[in-house]
Amino acid sequence: MESLGHLLSGFAAALSWHYLLYAFAGCTLGTLIGVLPGLGPAAGTAILIPLTFSLDPTGAIIMLCAIYYGAMYGGTITSVLINVPGEAASVVTCIDGHQMARQGRAGSALGIAAIGSFIGGTLATVALVVVAMPLASLALKFGPAEFFALMVAGLCLVVGLAGRNILAALLMTVIGLLLAMIGLDPVRGAPRFTFGMEELFDGIGFVPVVMGLFGVAELLLAAETRQARMIEAELKTWLPTRQECRDSAGAIGRGTVVGFVLGLIPGVGAIVPTFMAYVLEKRVSKTPERFGKGAIEGVASAETANNAYANAAMVPLLALGIPSSPTIAVLMGAFIINGITPGPFLFTEQPALVWTVIASFFVGNALLLILNLPLVGLWARLLKIPFSYMCCGVLIFCVIGAYGLKQSLFDVWVMLGFGIIGYLLRKLDFPIAPAILALILGPMMEKSLRTTLEISGGNFAIFLDRPVALVLLAVPVIVIGFILLKPRSVAKLRESDVE
Amino acid sequence: MLIRRRTLLAASAATAAVGVASPAIAQNYPRRAVQLVVAFPAGGSTDVGARILASLAEKDFGQPITVVNKGGAGGQIGFTEIARARPDGYTLGFLNLPGMNTITLDPERKAAFTVDSFIPIVNQVLDPGLIWVKGDSPYKTLADLVEAAKKAPGKISACTTGILSDDHLAILMVQEAAKCEFRIVHFDGGAQQLTGVLGGHVDVAFDNVGGVFKRVQSGEVRGLAVTDVERSKFLPQVPTTKELGMPTVISSSTRGVGAPKGTPADVVKVVETAFLKAINSAEMKEKMDAVGLALKPMVGAEYAKYYADLQKQAAKYTEWALKMR
Repeated sequence: MESLGHLLSGFAAALSWHYLLYAFAGCTLGTLIGVLPGLGPAAGTAILIPLTFSLDPTGAIIMLCAIYYGAMYGGTITSVLINVPGEAASVVTCIDGHQMARQGRAGSALGIAAIGSFIGGTLATVALVVVAMPLASLALKFGPAEFFALMVAGLCLVVGLAGRNILAALLMTVIGLLLAMIGLDPVRGAPRFTFGMEELFDGIGFVPVVMGLFGVAELLLAAETRQARMIEAELKTWLPTRQECRDSAGAIGRGTVVGFVLGLIPGVGAIVPTFMAYVLEKRVSKTPERFGKGAIEGVASAETANNAYANAAMVPLLALGIPSSPTIAVLMGAFIINGITPGPFLFTEQPALVWTVIASFFVGNALLLILNLPLVGLWARLLKIPFSYMCCGVLIFCVIGAYGLKQSLFDVWVMLGFGIIGYLLRKLDFPIAPAILALILGPMMEKSLRTTLEISGGNFAIFLDRPVALVLLAVPVIVIGFILLKPRSVAKLRESDVE
Repeated sequence: MLIRRRTLLAASAATAAVGVASPAIAQNYPRRAVQLVVAFPAGGSTDVGARILASLAEKDFGQPITVVNKGGAGGQIGFTEIARARPDGYTLGFLNLPGMNTITLDPERKAAFTVDSFIPIVNQVLDPGLIWVKGDSPYKTLADLVEAAKKAPGKISACTTGILSDDHLAILMVQEAAKCEFRIVHFDGGAQQLTGVLGGHVDVAFDNVGGVFKRVQSGEVRGLAVTDVERSKFLPQVPTTKELGMPTVISSSTRGVGAPKGTPADVVKVVETAFLKAINSAEMKEKMDAVGLALKPMVGAEYAKYYADLQKQAAKYTEWALKMR
């Protein structure tokens, strides 16, 4: 229990006024970065690295970590208010969060997101303190084969997002996978489907596509209805009601677990836990048809999983020195520039620093809550601006965001193109979420399969040797079998055929 | 008559001014911020080195040097950007070798640049290759590994940080020198290599000293050999491939500053002076030592020769690698 002793002294240091100030500054900057679409946490953190040069290493790290999970929360704000995901992981929040805003419940959505993020982040940090080292080593056993199986299982969750029209969902999944093929082939490094355009060498650009399919499409749809304001319904409450909080409790609990477990596995990325938590919630709900129409559990689970993931992803970084995602790689680069190389030796070489940083995670999560809850009303007020101004404003916002990614106009055209496509898809009642999920999981699936086969020398039997991978692969088989065999689902499938 | 003479006078004055102005361009450089394009994403080892260099060189340079990340396609996107930039000295690039070389040598990549598209100005880092295994691995020396590979051709798995990276070429060099065959696995960067080897999924990793030197020092991983002519000062206990009887296995990753072809020579000189000073400064040495990156400043003819020689070496092994696929 010496960890506890270390932690307490860490708290004493973290609560000193200057570290508190850095954490506060970090949370604020991070939230702002998260709000700006396109400028994801990775790029935003990279830009702010020079800011930390003048600080001492501990202060610099506290601030950078605060920016990181602040950005996770910031993305929620635009997702809920204008259906534009501030960063990749906020995509899921758009689904129910924006619908809630349309019903005048933006306050509840933002509020429960803040509360859920706080609980998820704090619990994940507690777990980090208790189980960091042993769990981290265990997570190493998760190799490419298991990763592939996890991705396949994740893709099958698409069925859970299907709603009424399973066939349409499957169609969109395949289209998403096709889009994911664009770019350099992971095996030979040769361009695929790039039509000679270098801009497509790295793939079609997930952020512009998502901003188009969600944000721009939403604007087009809204413009069509000639509404006077972005959101017609009056803002009912500034904070979630007691009842809503009670409803969300289960969602928050499950979201924390999903987010934390997946955060331990290097390479998973923030979207997978949010999608999984959302779909899990939908599965266990007694009234799944509410999801997609403003179910608060949808927002609560996604947001909690998001922050639990962000805090848990620190485990591989601190315990093993392995960054879980590009954003954390930037964080690690920042650590290194400041003279600290994360890794197992850090706990023994600089215990004071590590535990102060961990203590500051708790502090940061609390600060985020304190910072954001009062602002919810302010953000929601923005929606009162007449729609004609709002529409132009949001569009400019999106264009700047898309351009800001790589200073390339190509991304802007991609976004606008997919905005039109998204509009058409919504009109035709095709679900967009499966395509997004496939777009993300597709490349990860392909790369991990290829790596697995490189390791096994082309032999598929490697999967038979690895029990965890087998179990994960069995999940989709079971899920799909279950769906097909349930008489109600068969009728649904027939229905979609007829349509 | 008077007017014509005045015009004549004005014309000759203008011509003289132009003649005098050309060398004055360098005196006017830099007049605004300069961009340093890094072809890899923020946070990686290339980026870290570039940012440290930029912040130190700024002081003498007189203008801000902004690092811009244009990652993707293994560096191709960034290198293309540098090659296409206006050669006015306001866009500089961070050149990763042999990463840049292998892209030009792979016909399928249809690179929009060649080695001649860049002017190499000053080299910063030379990170030698390192062959490492898990700390408790049965392979205690490089000889053990090679023997195992000979006994079971194609069964011992060796991983790289990317296809056609310096690590990939190093594996081919070892295969050629020791007449053995590995099962080559390509990861995406050093982090994946760590999970791959530490998790027991792959037997040996070909990486660079800068990425893992602290773990070798702590014993978490074991360094089998450094693919260089002399031992690394960060890992003095690890033998070189030259010592171990494989003098042809020399591979490292070098990073330096370059400019697009056509940048005026006097501008290049200003850049060279400023960056070289930063590289030779005590602060740079301190920061690079902390991350295990060996400085090897090279300018002018020395760098140009290294640049050309590397292209030849890369050509040989890249051709081999391409035949294998």
